[in-house]
Amino acid sequence: MKFSLARQALILAAFSLLPGVGQAIYFRDKISWRSPIPPSEMVSIDQAREWGDSAIWIDARPDDEFARDHVPGAISLNEDRWNELLPEFLAAWSPGKKVVVYCSAQSCDLAREVAERLRKEAQLPDVFVLEGGWEAWQKKNK
Amino acid sequence: MKTHILTLTLSFIFCLTARAELKWEQTAVELHPAHGDKQAIGHFKYQNVGKTPVHFKSVHASCGCTAAQSQKDQVGPGEKGEITATFNIGERTGTQIKTVTVETDEAANQKTVLTLKAIIPQELEISPTFVFWKQGEKADPKSITVHAGKDFSVKHIKVSSSSPDFQTKVEETGEGQFKVNVQPNETGRLIASTLTIQAENSPKTFYATARITTAPTAPVAPVAPGQKAPAAPTAPARPPAPTSQTH
Repeated sequence: MKFSLARQALILAAFSLLPGVGQAIYFRDKISWRSPIPPSEMVSIDQAREWGDSAIWIDARPDDEFARDHVPGAISLNEDRWNELLPEFLAAWSPGKKVVVYCSAQSCDLAREVAERLRKEAQLPDVFVLEGGWEAWQKKNK
Repeated sequence: MKTHILTLTLSFIFCLTARAELKWEQTAVELHPAHGDKQAIGHFKYQNVGKTPVHFKSVHASCGCTAAQSQKDQVGPGEKGEITATFNIGERTGTQIKTVTVETDEAANQKTVLTLKAIIPQELEISPTFVFWKQGEKADPKSITVHAGKDFSVKHIKVSSSSPDFQTKVEETGEGQFKVNVQPNETGRLIASTLTIQAENSPKTFYATARITTAPTAPVAPVAPGQKAPAAPTAPARPPAPTSQTH
């Protein structure tokens, strides 16, 4: 009896895997398999605060959201006006400084993309994405 | 035992046929905007293959740069429609992946994630876009590599510095590949320059920045009350891209 139940459970489990496997094979070229940001490239609010003046805060959100409110001292750097804003950020940067990039929430992509461009194109070290973004910052500062 | 397997198989098939009433033609779209395009628009078509109307609860884009719109709030049985996702390219480069999350009141599969992938053509690829010298460091030249992007043919490039404090020299290192040597006249002062890079016969402008930065290990002199710390110079402002060009 026990053996039969286990076998049925196994068959059921195998069946439940089929749609997923089928979809993965069928859409293998169409779905973006975006990997999560590695933990080494993220920083918590508490850790970033501890860095004090040795950190530069970057707001990757669109201009209107930055104008509404932002982390005190943060510099606006978004991809809508990248060429115009990048020199302003670079003027504030110096070797040894850590860069903390944030966007609206954990789920937004803007911070990750700005951080990636700073690492790849400008080849800056120590660029981190803020965990939870602006939403988390606001919660902590209520 | 045979009955059990038959029951399982039938319930599996039933589950498959009873899933989402809204059937999407595709949930992932790949776009190839032309050089200079401002927007890339993806169309995600659907049909209600169920027997009851489906209501959209929300259509939400992952990024402020993408606007997602549904043609209607309710889709009757058999009706077709589409969600339009408009991605503003701005000054983005390379492959961009944006998602739109659609929530409906369907009994199953209430949330569908639509993926829009835009591959933005890049005439020139520049690496790095920033070169710097620490204050007091030897004023040796540093190089920037420039090469023609995929599907572009570039024979010559023009490079100019916004400041006479930096000299630039272009070397051709291969077909469509160049090395730009940048050298400051001195590194004693905090100076900066915007380097303008253009492919010959192309109106599109690319930028890089060269600057002398403060040395990280140098102790910071305390600023007396009422005095301001000396500010690092900003590279001269880059002109906003003309309407026909994006970077």
